[in-house]
Amino acid sequence: MTDARKLQGDKLSEAEAIERAKQGDAEAFQLLYGLHKRRVYSLCLRMTANTAEAEDLTQEAFLQLFRKIATFRGESAFSTWLHRMAVNVVLMQLRKKSLPVVPLEETLENEEEAPKKELGAQDPVLSGSIDRLRLQNAVDALPPGYRRIFVLHDVEGYEHNEIAAMVGCSIGNSKSQLHKARMKLRESLKTSRAEKAAKP
Amino acid sequence: MNCAEFQEFLPEGFEGGRTVEQESHLKSCSTCSGLVADLELIAREARQLQETAEPSPRVWNYIEITLRQEGIIREPHLGPALVPARPQRRNMAWLAPVAALVLVAFGIVVYQRGSSDSRLAAHLDTTTPSLVAIVPTSQKPSAVNNSEDDQLLAAVASRSPAMQAQYASNLQNVNAYIKDAEESAQADPNDEEAQQIVMDAYEQRAAVYEMALDRSLP
Repeated sequence: MTDARKLQGDKLSEAEAIERAKQGDAEAFQLLYGLHKRRVYSLCLRMTANTAEAEDLTQEAFLQLFRKIATFRGESAFSTWLHRMAVNVVLMQLRKKSLPVVPLEETLENEEEAPKKELGAQDPVLSGSIDRLRLQNAVDALPPGYRRIFVLHDVEGYEHNEIAAMVGCSIGNSKSQLHKARMKLRESLKTSRAEKAAKP
Repeated sequence: MNCAEFQEFLPEGFEGGRTVEQESHLKSCSTCSGLVADLELIAREARQLQETAEPSPRVWNYIEITLRQEGIIREPHLGPALVPARPQRRNMAWLAPVAALVLVAFGIVVYQRGSSDSRLAAHLDTTTPSLVAIVPTSQKPSAVNNSEDDQLLAAVASRSPAMQAQYASNLQNVNAYIKDAEESAQADPNDEEAQQIVMDAYEQRAAVYEMALDRSLP
């Protein structure tokens, strides 16, 4: 089956599932859940770096979606609708927990966490690809504020104006935090690669 | 332009919009070009983290249970043909309080008569719609529609084969109860209590259908 046909088949299946779900069909709900669970859960996991919390947030995101599915009119893609809802659920939870908010000013409490600037010295470039597990670990190790912006922009594909609206910061601040997140990841990935190379 | 100036500008200008001076520095400086290349690589590779993890089965289990409790998941309606004709579905709304009154009346009747009828006593002892405790006195129900029962059991078998035997037993018992109740009512048409027993018997039959269809009584 070609990719186009498969994609078309998936879209038709999802559309049918949505209509059946509006009628309360259990299998339809399960199908929709199966189609999107990994994306939603991965988002929650990347944002919280905690599996139990990520599962709770995944539950909440899907429950909110399914409770409102009767109002879905198809103006936007279902996945977009679900994804936005998941992001809102996660951000609301993070606010409740009073995790460190992205500072409106570009200052850090702990300057040691600030990424180092690359000045003057020639620097080896990262290899052509990054091991997913290493990248995953590096992202999980980011400070929460950096991690949040990085996940929303680079992993999930939101634009800075969208992130600014969701998180409640300026576009400039979003760009700044993203840059710092990437710089921290670069340091972390280079360090881990050097450590790996140093092992006998 | 030096590296410090270029890198200070980088957060704003990473995705484009660089000046000629900045582009010139980028082309001529291996440190900054290496840095930009690394950051672009990280941004590209980040997409592979989109769907890396799978939630445990408990997540869906919780979602499904909650949706069922909230009535958002509903079992499909099998059509009016599977609903008992007597009493009519449209009249069911008033039967719930009537059924409650019948149960109370039964209690009074049995206590006053000192009935040793194990069937009625078992009926009063049941606190759930389950009719397994009712011992049928006859294997052939009177006015019930066997084709409706067959359709219901076929539907149950298609969705929950393991439950078919229990529902078949429940239907057999309640149909026998209806038969006996109707015979008592026919023997004395003026006996209001007997008439109420008949209505309750049909209510019980409707309850079996409701359970099988996984819907609550109105």
